Amino acid sequence: MTDATITTADREPRALPTLTALLSIAVYSVREMARRRRLISLGLLCSLPVIAVLVVRIFFPEEGITPHQQLAALSHDVIIPLLIPIVAMAVGASAIGEQVEEGTIVYLWTRPIRRRAIYLGRLLAAQTVAAVLLSLALAACFLIMISNGLQVVTFDFLKLYLTTFLLIALGAFTYTSLFAAFGTWFRKPVLPGIIFAFGWENLITNIPARVQEFSLRFHLQNLVERPPVSDTADLPGLLGALLTAAFKRDPVPALQSVAVLVVVGVVAALVGIWMLRNKELEK
Amino acid sequence: MIAAGAGVREDAARIKAERVGKWFGEVIAVNNCSIAIGSGVVGLLGANGAGKSTLFKMLAGLIEPSHGRVRVFGRELRRDVAWYRRVGFCPESDALPEWMTGREFLTLALRLMGFDRKESASRTDRWLERFELVDAQNRKLGGYSKGMRQKLKLAQALAHDPDVIFLDEPLNGMDPVSRKQSIDLVRDLGAEGRTVLVSSHILPEVESMTSEIVLIDRGRVLAEGAVTEIRDKIPEHPTTVALVSSDARRLAGFLIGRDHVKAVELEDERRVVVRTEHAVAFYRALPGWVLENDLPVDEILTLDDSLEAVFQYLTEG
Repeated sequence: MTDATITTADREPRALPTLTALLSIAVYSVREMARRRRLISLGLLCSLPVIAVLVVRIFFPEEGITPHQQLAALSHDVIIPLLIPIVAMAVGASAIGEQVEEGTIVYLWTRPIRRRAIYLGRLLAAQTVAAVLLSLALAACFLIMISNGLQVVTFDFLKLYLTTFLLIALGAFTYTSLFAAFGTWFRKPVLPGIIFAFGWENLITNIPARVQEFSLRFHLQNLVERPPVSDTADLPGLLGALLTAAFKRDPVPALQSVAVLVVVGVVAALVGIWMLRNKELEK
Repeated sequence: MIAAGAGVREDAARIKAERVGKWFGEVIAVNNCSIAIGSGVVGLLGANGAGKSTLFKMLAGLIEPSHGRVRVFGRELRRDVAWYRRVGFCPESDALPEWMTGREFLTLALRLMGFDRKESASRTDRWLERFELVDAQNRKLGGYSKGMRQKLKLAQALAHDPDVIFLDEPLNGMDPVSRKQSIDLVRDLGAEGRTVLVSSHILPEVESMTSEIVLIDRGRVLAEGAVTEIRDKIPEHPTTVALVSSDARRLAGFLIGRDHVKAVELEDERRVVVRTEHAVAFYRALPGWVLENDLPVDEILTLDDSLEAVFQYLTEG
């Protein structure tokens, strides 16, 4: 330990600009996430709607189920309540927490990069992977639907199709952001994630009246065309009327739903950044 | 506590910890440690569980102290991340992104330090060559041996030319040749005026790199400074020096009652064993005595001022 005089003023360093760092991390992280084994399972899961469309196309061509009806049902009842939460959980919960847990985060923490850039870079990568995976499934469905001829491509169908793409992007943004925060907070985020996605979201969405607005699923479903449902006509008159009234989902303005989803996504990201800032190296 | 022979002026300290402590729940991992480290190689020593790793990570800005302050270049790294451009960190953990190749990993590490594509590629080439990883550069890290991983971890810590370098158990898993090369490299870095803090529990490893140490035990800094100076400050264990001489009897007779000599023992006709409480002063005085009195001394052997002995003496209490 010699008495060397330290001069620091001549080499005042600067942190990497947040956007540059964020994009570099996002690009590397997309490559990393795309190589994970769990992506195969997610790919298989995302092929469920494709298989459903294929089954209808092959075995029930004469049933009169139009591509528009199929797409509406898939968006409303499969993609929004099932696929988006599962894919977002699988990709988002591990986006940051897993690196901290493994110890590889140290190679990012010891660079001149602000932690918000690290967090947002990883989050952006997770959101991209989730959105691409879901979009690919939707694109495959589209190809099968139009395989009988382009006459099915009506304006309404295209509108619904594009809306579903946007919903996937928005859903992936919000849910992944939320699950990434879960992954940063909890050491084992899967259980709280499942409780949220299939406990809270299911429960709240099925509670009568405006309580439903406290779920993300409600707002996503609010933005998409509702598939035709068989009403409660089979039930006795009074009970049917009561149930219909109780579970009737009054739509809220689309802008309100978009705002709720964006705000939840942004707040979750901010909370995640704050948590990462206070994280310490465990290994 | 700033212990034995810290020897660094406050303004010269690149790494400075002031009364830092860290609690994990009710467990005190590090307690009230103060150290100041300037340029050169310094070994951070301690047994497993001594708090060495926690202190090391606090110094590198990877753990927040429960109390006290840690500064590197006068800055708090956790808040002022820009200063990581001048800091290199080699972690103990073996975790690496297994899916990347060695080349990709090193290039990314440099890109994230702010180097452009060309400069990153050129530095990557240079460091892969230096650590003899050129042949394995396009292999996935999952297929790297422990020694290769260690070399790559070292390369990413050094490739951006940092002034302060933290190396946590840097020689783990290396073969003898790589070990020797890495030791030489660390010594060279110290000689260039860089600050290299090496954490290890393998004493000979640290001893081969430096004689400057910070010794930590049960969460406290026990001693800091040169091993010999620290050794001198352990009065209950006088340093044992063996002098080989053609006339051991005459030499022994001369040494009895001299300053800094506590005891003299004639081991055999060619060897005198001296116990001294002030080895540094004894070594300083000895050449004068030999020259002025024409004493025959062929060889001087210090028997217990090794790092291991110092470590043992300091921690046994």
